[in-house]
Amino acid sequence: MAEQTEPVTATAAPVAAPAVAATSAEEAKATGRPILVVDDVHLKYKTYGGKRRTPGSRLPSWAKGLTQGVGAVDVVHAVKGVSFVAHHGESIGLIGHNGSGKSTLLRAVAGAMPVSSGAIYTDGVASLLGVSGALIKNLSGERNIILGCLALGLKPSEVKQHFEEVVEFADIGEFVRLPMEAYSSGMGARLRFAISTAASPDILMIDEALATGDASFKARSQKRIDEIRERAGTVLLVSHSMGTIKETCDRVLWLDSGVLRADGQPDEVIEAYMETQRAKVEAAKK
Amino acid sequence: MTATEPLPGAQGRTAAEEGKSLREIAESAGLKQVGGRPPLGAYLRDLWERRHFAVTLARSSAYSQNQGSYLGQLWNILNPLINAAVYLAIFGYVLKTDRGIENYIAFLVIGVFFFQFTTRSMTVGSKAITGNAGLVNSLQFPRALLPLSVVLTELIMMLPAVLVLLVLVPMTGEPFQWWWLMLPFVVLLQWVFATGMAFALARMVVEVRDIANLIPFVTRALMYFSGVFFSISSYAGSGILGSVLAYQPIALYIELARTCLMVESQPSLGLWLGGIGWAVGALVVGFLFFWRAEEKYGRG
Repeated sequence: MAEQTEPVTATAAPVAAPAVAATSAEEAKATGRPILVVDDVHLKYKTYGGKRRTPGSRLPSWAKGLTQGVGAVDVVHAVKGVSFVAHHGESIGLIGHNGSGKSTLLRAVAGAMPVSSGAIYTDGVASLLGVSGALIKNLSGERNIILGCLALGLKPSEVKQHFEEVVEFADIGEFVRLPMEAYSSGMGARLRFAISTAASPDILMIDEALATGDASFKARSQKRIDEIRERAGTVLLVSHSMGTIKETCDRVLWLDSGVLRADGQPDEVIEAYMETQRAKVEAAKK
Repeated sequence: MTATEPLPGAQGRTAAEEGKSLREIAESAGLKQVGGRPPLGAYLRDLWERRHFAVTLARSSAYSQNQGSYLGQLWNILNPLINAAVYLAIFGYVLKTDRGIENYIAFLVIGVFFFQFTTRSMTVGSKAITGNAGLVNSLQFPRALLPLSVVLTELIMMLPAVLVLLVLVPMTGEPFQWWWLMLPFVVLLQWVFATGMAFALARMVVEVRDIANLIPFVTRALMYFSGVFFSISSYAGSGILGSVLAYQPIALYIELARTCLMVESQPSLGLWLGGIGWAVGALVVGFLFFWRAEEKYGRG
């Protein structure tokens, strides 16, 4: 799947170029205008505080213990050359094992993490909704709503306008006045979801955030997702629940150790993925 | 589904896009590249548009810092007062470093309050990016908002201390003089200077985290070099050493504040020009230094 270098065919381009600057949402949807292009992206990040590995070192064990803790910076190559195009109105699922680079990829699309090579192109505002995210634990829900909306680029007047709506959607009642560290994980997730979608992002990325909610929250968030797609936005969803993916997505990308293994219809990709999962489970049983 | 059917193996290109490179597709659709460093003008505009975020974040964190206790916001006043008392006990009564100063209490209290603002700004500024990983990792915004905001927090927390000064200093026998009205400008200059420092330190710590571990030593050394509790001219003389110590920015802002509030310290044009120069210089250099690495402030 990786390393296709597209032949730049300047000769004979019989296919019409996509309409430039489709204005209305309907038009954008009808022409299938791209909203997100990920072009051969590699992502690496540093982690601190691991143990340094020095294979073949002949130091005595006590000295190894000392040196292991110095210069312990690991570079993780999380995404290795992923390319895809997403269009207005699409809803794309990202599946793969833990550590396959799904969350890292979303972070890069959100602009929260620099790419090591390659490029990501988007149209409009991208908003990332993670499990542990965004918000400031020792501040109240109220403050977090205001801060989150401002950070997403809303003006103070718009924040006021959306405030009630966010509180209502998050459904946290009196807890809105308490610091977020007092929240249950479900409440935190609901509030974050409400904030992230308040700014009407063009690209909404959801990283496992639906997993903690109850049924009514799931229904409400599904409605929000549909609204965004109606407005010709795009949703990227990371989930380990194949049910959620099937319900929400019309296209699935399978990431395997940072490489795009498959890209296509949900049923086919999920089936192929589950096949390898089953093999692993079998192996684990033995 | 109304959306286009993705073609397996074509990275999701539609029929119309087949045969084109991904970059061409992106460009012909008018997409913008994510990340990277925007040009300076656009960056400044973006900063200005999101200024409310920096201000709200600063106010919220200033408020929350004292909320974890019974006395709550009262600590804003108690903290500087107790601090001043401790320093007075050590340097005024035990070490007696009051040589050449008539009103030592006022001298010391002004020194401690203004010095603390600078060092606290350096400390929080250095961690402005690495300490806010939650925000940085999940939202896209001009990162310069963070150093701006954390120093603003310090400024907000310093204001009660300035009020305490305005009550305390007359109690030590200083008469009101017109120079008092210049005090806000000293605070302003010092704040601008501290923001510039925070920009520079924030980037340095992102590049080499270990620098954050060195900052406590730097601030401790600065305390002894900045005439916080002794008069530089009385101990270091007015030669080269004395002048260098007196005109380094941290000592300079403390001295400027003293010239505003104390009769025995005479204001001079040199001091004010120095104060303005350090502030503008630090802000411009620090900001440019920070902006040049904007694309790096993600994770790692």
